[in-house]
Amino acid sequence: MRIEKDRCVCCGECIAVCPVGAIRLRKKDKATGAKAVAEIERDECVECGACFRYNICPENAIAEEALAWPRILRKAFSDPVYTHEGTDIPGRGTEEMKTNDVTGRFKDGYVGIGLEFGRPGIGTRFREAEKAIKKLVPLGVHLEPNNPLTQLIANPHTGELKPEILDERVLSTIVEAIIPLDKFQQVMAAVREIAAEVDTVFSFDVIGKVAPDGSIPAAQEMQKAGLTPSINGKVNVGLGRPSFPF
Amino acid sequence: MSHTLHRCGKHDDLKNDFVVFCMSAKTVNVKGSGAKMRRFFEILRKYPAVNFGDVKTGSRFNSDWQTIHDGYKDQSVAHYVFSDAAAVGEILKELKQADLGVSVIVSGVFDRVEELCRQAGLKMHTVEYSGGVMGKTERLPEGPVLAITTMCGHGLVSANLVQKMATQVKKGKKSLAEAAADLAKPCMCGIFNVERAERLLMELS
Repeated sequence: MRIEKDRCVCCGECIAVCPVGAIRLRKKDKATGAKAVAEIERDECVECGACFRYNICPENAIAEEALAWPRILRKAFSDPVYTHEGTDIPGRGTEEMKTNDVTGRFKDGYVGIGLEFGRPGIGTRFREAEKAIKKLVPLGVHLEPNNPLTQLIANPHTGELKPEILDERVLSTIVEAIIPLDKFQQVMAAVREIAAEVDTVFSFDVIGKVAPDGSIPAAQEMQKAGLTPSINGKVNVGLGRPSFPF
Repeated sequence: MSHTLHRCGKHDDLKNDFVVFCMSAKTVNVKGSGAKMRRFFEILRKYPAVNFGDVKTGSRFNSDWQTIHDGYKDQSVAHYVFSDAAAVGEILKELKQADLGVSVIVSGVFDRVEELCRQAGLKMHTVEYSGGVMGKTERLPEGPVLAITTMCGHGLVSANLVQKMATQVKKGKKSLAEAAADLAKPCMCGIFNVERAERLLMELS
């Protein structure tokens, strides 16, 4: 994103719209005579497009620009209107539990976890998510192959991401994995270590299939780990037609 | 894409906040699902909604029903937001009858959603919990601000915009409804609950 200086009237209306606070006012430069303008800090901007779409600028000075690799990743992981080429899904994640009644992706005895780096509202560099991947890979967790972040892993044995992307900043990116229920406590210990090491926030989520007796083993594992399952969340109500018996 | 998860708040605040949405599985039943999304959207239209939308065409606050309806394609995800639990219960019954074959997800307070499923003759199939926020949580904004911003799971509603709207309400420059509608605009999926936002803005102003 950029603000065209010639058009900007420095009203400041765009500043509050930016989810990551990347728009600042630059005072008039007395030495050069350059007028006061609003500027987008290029390194902080996540290319989400919120400032452009909100239509806040009275002079239409906010413009999108063509992005090259690796900066294009900022848009791919921040602008939900953008569809990932790898997943063919808008947004940063996958279908996860939303289609589980059809796909059977999460079966009895397994639990899904997600660590969404940068959410809520703080943003992240990919190097923070890499810390989590490097911690989880040695535990043998199955990272979701369709997740767009998984597709940026350079070394699947160590969890290292492609080096040129590490400093790219995005609104959020999700580390998604499926683990056997009996590994949950071990993985939770790693998640706590990750929380202590990262320089951002992450929202943590847990997915579980409801057992035939109505119990939810994933919630029981969360409690065992000292985590309180949230009072609210997502429910797949089972109206999808299963693709196979599970 | 857990965009409807992690809505922060207490039970009393969240108990009337429901997102109902519909999605096909890319590897299984995506072909022809655009028509099913449109059917889903038509069924839900009969009930009093707070918001609706699709990430590609926008929401009630930056597009219109017909444009969104006509824009549904096989990969689309159709969303509706309700504040009325009874309406959600009736919707689940009608969707069961319609037997679209694609997945339907309800985000809300679990005890209420489970009861609505039971009343509709459905059983919860798979659930997703929030395990909270970890890491540098000291960087997060205060409670009501966070409760508003987390209604856009893609993070497009900024905390600074919430503060700005609260200030404008306090100064009498905007009504609560106008401020909430302005906050809903960046949320492209149409999952932002403006009625809840009004209540939270009142707390802030």
